[in-house]
Amino acid sequence: MSTATTSTNSEKVLDYFAIFGVPRKLWIEMSELEQKFLQMSWKLHPDNFVNATEQERELSLKRSSELNDAYRTLRDPIARVEYLLGIEGERKEGEKKQQAPPELLEEVFELNESLEELREARASGQDLTGLQARLETAEKSFQEKLGEVDAELQSAAREWDATLTVDSAARKKVMARLNELLNRRSYIRNLVTNVAKELGEV
Amino acid sequence: MGRIVGIDLGTTNSLVAYADALTGQPKCIPGPYGSTLCPSVVSIDTDGSVIVGQPAKRRLLTQPERTIYSVKRLMGRGPTDIQDELKLFPFRIAPASRNVIRVRLGDKVFTPPEISAFILRELKNWAEAFFGETVDRAVITVPAYFNDAQRQATKDAGRIAGLEVLRLVNEPTAAALAYGLHEKQRGKVAVYDLGGGTFDISVLKLISTSEGDIYQVLSTNGDTHLGGDDIDNLLQAFVHELILQHDRVDFSPHGELAQELRKALIQVKHQLSETEAATLRFSLPNGKVFTHEFTRGALDALIRPVVDRTMGPVKQALADAQLKPADIGEVVLVGGATRTPLIRRTVQEFFDRKPHTELNPDEVVALGAAVQANILDRGVKNMLLLDVTPLSLGIETYGGAVAKVIPRNSTIPASAQELYTTGVDNQTGIEIHVLQGERELAKDCRSLARFTLKVPPAPAGLPRIEVKFLIDANGILQVGARDLRTGEQHSIEVQPSYGISHAEIERMLEESIEYAEQDFAERQLIEARTEADTILAATVKAQANPKSAELTADEGAKIDASVAALKESVAGTDYKLIRKRIDELNRATEHLAELLMSSAVSTALEGRKLAEV
Ligand SMILES: Nc1ncnc2c1ncn2[C@@H]1O[C@H](COP(=O)(O)OP(=O)(O)OP(=O)(O)O)[C@@H](O)[C@H]1O
Ligand SMILES: [Mg+2]
Repeated sequence: MSTATTSTNSEKVLDYFAIFGVPRKLWIEMSELEQKFLQMSWKLHPDNFVNATEQERELSLKRSSELNDAYRTLRDPIARVEYLLGIEGERKEGEKKQQAPPELLEEVFELNESLEELREARASGQDLTGLQARLETAEKSFQEKLGEVDAELQSAAREWDATLTVDSAARKKVMARLNELLNRRSYIRNLVTNVAKELGEV
Repeated sequence: MGRIVGIDLGTTNSLVAYADALTGQPKCIPGPYGSTLCPSVVSIDTDGSVIVGQPAKRRLLTQPERTIYSVKRLMGRGPTDIQDELKLFPFRIAPASRNVIRVRLGDKVFTPPEISAFILRELKNWAEAFFGETVDRAVITVPAYFNDAQRQATKDAGRIAGLEVLRLVNEPTAAALAYGLHEKQRGKVAVYDLGGGTFDISVLKLISTSEGDIYQVLSTNGDTHLGGDDIDNLLQAFVHELILQHDRVDFSPHGELAQELRKALIQVKHQLSETEAATLRFSLPNGKVFTHEFTRGALDALIRPVVDRTMGPVKQALADAQLKPADIGEVVLVGGATRTPLIRRTVQEFFDRKPHTELNPDEVVALGAAVQANILDRGVKNMLLLDVTPLSLGIETYGGAVAKVIPRNSTIPASAQELYTTGVDNQTGIEIHVLQGERELAKDCRSLARFTLKVPPAPAGLPRIEVKFLIDANGILQVGARDLRTGEQHSIEVQPSYGISHAEIERMLEESIEYAEQDFAERQLIEARTEADTILAATVKAQANPKSAELTADEGAKIDASVAALKESVAGTDYKLIRKRIDELNRATEHLAELLMSSAVSTALEGRKLAEV
């Protein structure tokens, strides 16, 4: 595996928004999306083409899988932002993925210390209850931060929808913000998962 | 093209069903013993002939080393996966197995798909006898939680049996189709399916649109090695211990005696679904009879762990569908093991709702397969099934981690594209490892395939190869690659980690046709003998009739000679000869048959055979 480098979506030409005939907006009316999904499924599903030619069967497989991929992506608000940035060429995970956002540095430092202490205490069989409580508090605090990021994402998404008709410089700015928020979100989520895992092992 | 049938290839029992051409109503097809259930048991006789179903089940007691049950547990698995099964099931694994398991039956060796193919071929025969025409296309059901290799193995089995498998349908989804709950209710449905060897839970949303009804699976979960078999194993271990303590009799867990004990225990288990108590009586080799009184409460305590193991997947499936138990409008119970009162109670309490049990839990999956066959065959346009993939698809990345590219519960067909490039100059290949499962490390997931992407020599980072992973409507993986610089399609030879190669399947198909010819001859022989018996009996009866005195001496002698000749042929195995002698006797008795009829009808029925009079 050492030689493979993967990167998603930088070459994707297929436009999921276009499949559903909706503009590249981040706010989507879900029931409308579902209606369209079901309508197109009736037409494209491979079940309709069992007795058709090989070519038609291949095409149905391709089109219905694209439809399902598009629906799966656009239905999920986070995947939707990620996908949009991808096709706009503005999704940058970069090397910063593993780095704490500056405003979180202090708290992350403390969290890592507590985690380290917990592991040591567990290894030497000490009492864990105090440490555990501290970690639980930290976990809750990061959960709240996750909620804050999601709220910020929502407001940035509204901004994006409003700038659709404005100049490209303004749009680039919103996209940079969305990108940064996605990175922050995935960083915090990883933290929360790790803490939950450590606490689970206690 | 022939008909499409629906087949439930079960761990314990298999069935074949069809949908009525006019009404679309699905029905199961009975076999030669009158039952629609074909026990999933295969036995190979000393002369190499294959025995399937009820007669094979009897041979579990007399010829255990030539007979196999629950082979579904081995489908799509590798030798290292099945070590736990081997402790509990009398599978005789041939030592020469590589990544594919080979099972020894007497002096022959078969792969699990070949053994499953014997069962499928038997069901194909049932359907052909029923319709009087060839059946070569089928919809086959699989546990919803089957992985890629298990699905591929099932499809291979169909191919080896001479069936084109048009679709693999998930068992709980098929059950929902058979219930057709949409007529009464639109909303969320949970299907709890505990069979002989597998457990599935599926959550569906039923939607009615102007075009028709949509069955959309929202999530699925399960355990492909959890079922009534496990309850039997618990019972067997429990009673073994009792016998060892009380009577100091120890016997091999896989021998004939163990099979007999298992059979008796299954009867007790079934009895306890009806009554509060049941007694096991079992003759030991030392002449003593071991008896034990089971109460339903004692059984419940014993099987509680199995029931509890089903509830984890139930909760996970609900969580994945983002639903609470109270959001579920209808609950459906499927599979023989759900007749157990403890299971019914547990499910009912969890959902706080009385589950549906109206349809026969043995037949419901096959009936649903027939409904799906009908949709595919006639293009029934008022029903659409949207199913999901049960397990996430992933690619191994740095350090043995897994990057998920298609999450579990994605509607299928589903696909994902990944872009690959090289890390060093003039690198000619990129290794790709595809896995299935929810764990983070490759070593904890199921390996589906490894392959090497061929790359034309170029500076590092310059090649751009797009690999497309596609899960088709059967839940089976397809891989394709495209060189983005040249637009050239690459064909990829994907060697499955656990599975049979294409060439091997073709060889097995040829072999199975030989078996089929043997089977065919055997069936012809049985049918010819039965017919001979009928006409011989009719002749004896007719000769006893006073009217037979009107025959000439020559006619009488001819009948006696024909009877003797037919009897002689029946003792042999040449079915063509038997048929010839039947015709001869029929001709010899033509006059006698006429004499037995009143002269009025005799003219109308002239030329009838004696056996029909
Ligand atoms: N009355 C009953 N009470 C309890 N268990 C029963 C009863 N009847 C059948 N079973 C059990 O149900 C199981 C068989 O169920 P079923 O025929 O639905 O399985 P299957 O379809 O062959 O298996 P699978 O779906 O797992 O591949 C057996 O373990 C059998 O002992
Ligand atoms: Mg079943």
